[in-house]
Amino acid sequence: MLPKLDPLLHSELRLAVMSILAGVEDAEFSYLKKQTGATSGNLSVQIEKLSAAGYISVEKGFKGKVPCTTCKITTEGLDAFEKYVNALKEYLI
Amino acid sequence: MENIEQNKEMTAQQSLNIISQMINDSRRTILQSSAKHFMLWGGLLIVVSLLIFWLWQSSGNPIWNVAWFVMPALGFPMVRILERKETDVPQNKINMNIGLIWLTYCIFAVLISVIAMLWVPMNISLIIVVLVGFAECISGFLLKNWAITISGFIIGIGGAVMASALLGAEQLLIFTVCGIMLVVTGLIIKSQYK
Repeated sequence: MLPKLDPLLHSELRLAVMSILAGVEDAEFSYLKKQTGATSGNLSVQIEKLSAAGYISVEKGFKGKVPCTTCKITTEGLDAFEKYVNALKEYLI
Repeated sequence: MENIEQNKEMTAQQSLNIISQMINDSRRTILQSSAKHFMLWGGLLIVVSLLIFWLWQSSGNPIWNVAWFVMPALGFPMVRILERKETDVPQNKINMNIGLIWLTYCIFAVLISVIAMLWVPMNISLIIVVLVGFAECISGFLLKNWAITISGFIIGIGGAVMASALLGAEQLLIFTVCGIMLVVTGLIIKSQYK
């Protein structure tokens, strides 16, 4: 029987955000927006969902006088991402 | 790239495509940014080495080697300006490690130069050129780029031979060649991750 895919990760934008964060130390909101091509509103909603699940941590601060939101993948998020990728592989065998 | 806005149903293959596309795009953006650092330091090395060469040749006085300290004094503020322009580019393991390697090189080069000038005379050119070659080689291995690794070996070994064979102001031209190779490294990275 095929494993169930994590519904939180099985969404285009959330998966894209997690894929980017899995390869970097942390990333700013503006970078995630640029890389995914998503709108600010949609990206904010998806980031909030990932953060609520404990998959990413979100830090709001300032860079000079400009507000800056930084996202970082958590250990829990990395585990979930790894399990998701392993599950995907089984679908393709 | 195509906007990712809809949370539509995806197949396993589509999911894997998104993962690999995002990882590759992000890696490309990050490494393209690190190419600028190679070009900046390489360009600075060309200008400073030629300037000291000219000053030493025209005055006949090696005291002009003191001007090497212009490199970190000018280079680090320039790096800060460069980073201010690309504030949101994150760091991955590769560019973090490359940054650490070159920072370590810089510390070694400055400390050895100070020690050689003030206390224990040594062939600074030879030591520094070997360090540049070593740092360039490891950068090539990290970037999985043979052209950069081989140019590191050429700089390190060829530079050591030249530093032992050449005397006086002509030794400075070794660093001009190093600078050119650093700029070329930057251009290779830029084209590799275009």
